Amino acid sequence: MLEMIKELCTLSGISGRENAVRDYIIEKIKDYAEYSVDPLGNLIVFKKGKNPAKNKVMLDAHMDEVGMIITAITAEGYLKFAKVGGIDSRVMLGRAVRVGDKAVNGVIGIKPVHLVDKGAEADIPKSEDLYIDIGAKDKAEAEEYVRPGDAAWFAGDFVEFGNGFVKSKALDDRAGCAILIELIRSELQYDAWFSFSTQEEIGTRGAQASAFTIAPDYAIVVETTTAADISGVKDEKRVCICGKGGTVSFMDRSTIYNKELFDKAFEVAEREGIACQPKTMVAGGNDAGAIHKSRGGVKVLTVSVPCRYLHSPSCVIKYSDVDESLKLIKAMAEEFAKW
Amino acid sequence: MNNFSEVSALLKELCAAKGVSGAENEAAKAAAKLLEKYMPAKIDPLGSVTGTAGEGETHILLDAHLDQIGLIVTAIDEDGFLKVAKCGGADIRVLAAAEVTVHGKENVFGVITSTPPHLSKPEDSNKAKGFDEIAVDIGMTKEEAEKVVSLGDRITFNGAYSELLGSRVASPSIDDRAGVAAILRCLELIKDKKLGCKISVMFSVQEETGGSGAQAGAFAAAADEAIAADVSFASAPGVSGEKYAKLGGGTMIGYAPSLDYEMSRKLSEIAEKKNIPSQPEVMGGKTGTNCDEIQVSGRGVKTALLSIPLRNMHTAVEVCDLEDIESTARLMAEYITERGGKNA
Repeated sequence: MLEMIKELCTLSGISGRENAVRDYIIEKIKDYAEYSVDPLGNLIVFKKGKNPAKNKVMLDAHMDEVGMIITAITAEGYLKFAKVGGIDSRVMLGRAVRVGDKAVNGVIGIKPVHLVDKGAEADIPKSEDLYIDIGAKDKAEAEEYVRPGDAAWFAGDFVEFGNGFVKSKALDDRAGCAILIELIRSELQYDAWFSFSTQEEIGTRGAQASAFTIAPDYAIVVETTTAADISGVKDEKRVCICGKGGTVSFMDRSTIYNKELFDKAFEVAEREGIACQPKTMVAGGNDAGAIHKSRGGVKVLTVSVPCRYLHSPSCVIKYSDVDESLKLIKAMAEEFAKW
Repeated sequence: MNNFSEVSALLKELCAAKGVSGAENEAAKAAAKLLEKYMPAKIDPLGSVTGTAGEGETHILLDAHLDQIGLIVTAIDEDGFLKVAKCGGADIRVLAAAEVTVHGKENVFGVITSTPPHLSKPEDSNKAKGFDEIAVDIGMTKEEAEKVVSLGDRITFNGAYSELLGSRVASPSIDDRAGVAAILRCLELIKDKKLGCKISVMFSVQEETGGSGAQAGAFAAAADEAIAADVSFASAPGVSGEKYAKLGGGTMIGYAPSLDYEMSRKLSEIAEKKNIPSQPEVMGGKTGTNCDEIQVSGRGVKTALLSIPLRNMHTAVEVCDLEDIESTARLMAEYITERGGKNA
């Protein structure tokens, strides 16, 4: 699965431009399940299990990543952009990016610190003052390579480091996509429906439509979430911890999760010897926010891979958490199918 | 991609070799190997790479600094995160989520910690965190970290050498590997000429922490004249006005009270005569480069400064135009040829 996560993360796919990610996933699953692509670009998959399911279970992971969209080209040939998804400007300054269909190299520039007024050395430029420099001499040269509306995304390699950790852009939520692909390619006890959803990062747009189409009784959202188990952060402020397994949410900014499902996850994890932990802070949100309100309502569980530095070019996960999350998700899908 | 393949290859090779101030060994090895093509290369007591070639009445020293800005490990915390401080003028605004290499017993990959927007207040994003609030995540426990990392180890910022449009490139440490590349390129341009002067080359250490390398190296060289090749500010958004250079506008010829006025004028004359793109850079006192140390070394040295325009200085995405390195090299070569010719 690690190789698949690497390949998925290397693809570019900001919200609304998930094509390359979707094509990759279709290649991986087409021999194992039935699939269709809906009007919003969601990839909807049905996988036949050994048994028919009593309840319809939907598993969701989003294909899109945070990034940038080019809004204008200046007279000097610099590219102005809007953020796509929630990105803190502090992780953007001085970063290498790629832009447009030709994937040209660019950098997010910054005024040298030597020229910054005394006392302002820590001040971060306003979002609207950020720009990408692709080395164009002027507007005309830039226009040969880039048009307003083009996507831009963080450059950078997929790196394995330390004791079982990996670093990449877009681990949110290509790690989730990889888990779902792995499930589809494996033998399942019960029939299952999958949504590889679009546009989560700009407000869970894709999942709202795919949940309507699938019309599930239960849903499991497979995500990454904010691990703050870093230097200087203690106890519950760490939210979740890399290496302690799949993270189960009781509440976030878009969903109050079904308590029975939350409790069941820990019960099953204990029974099966799967590492699993609660998310100890009400923060963030995901496709569950759209799915639980779909049609007449859907009971939802979220299982996330703990991820440090989410929405930055350098997301970090511990690989063992992917394996543990996969085990828990598979077990829970079976529980819900026969609940 | 561009017409400056020799310069590009030089710069790429030099940028790939790491060397934060006071720990320039790897960069020194790379630079010494390249210098050996033209003259025997030595390493001086502080670590600078030096070499001498040619004979003549006039002795000209060419200097560029080898070191790059970085960080230094100050502590390993209970969870294995590395606490760090600046080594040279690192910019704290570009630290969050930066990828780094810790040059420990082996090269160790790391990421500088940051807080995602989900866990911070919107107004937090207006201020960069200070060194007391950040650390380097190397994915290890304290025990694991202690096996490969020691206090005092240097840290460099990762980043590919990447080609932008035209002849522009982005990379960490173009400050001042571009200057080193310019000098090596100059030596290539004059290698078949019979020079009427003596040339010393110095790729000096510790410029970013105060210029100790240049001070010692210039004393040892005891040259009559010196030309330093460094980088300086190119115009960019928020960096505008007459004061700043045009990227791709040619080598910047320094004028300052501390620089030798006749040398500066001579360089400008030669640039005009030989059609070498150049632009003046005028400063009101000292230069903030190795020139300040070289000028007052020993009995004093007449000193000139050629600068290569650079954007995003002291970040992992420093941007320069290869054409400006080439014009710096050409002007240096023409100056040496003319000075030697006069003496011959």
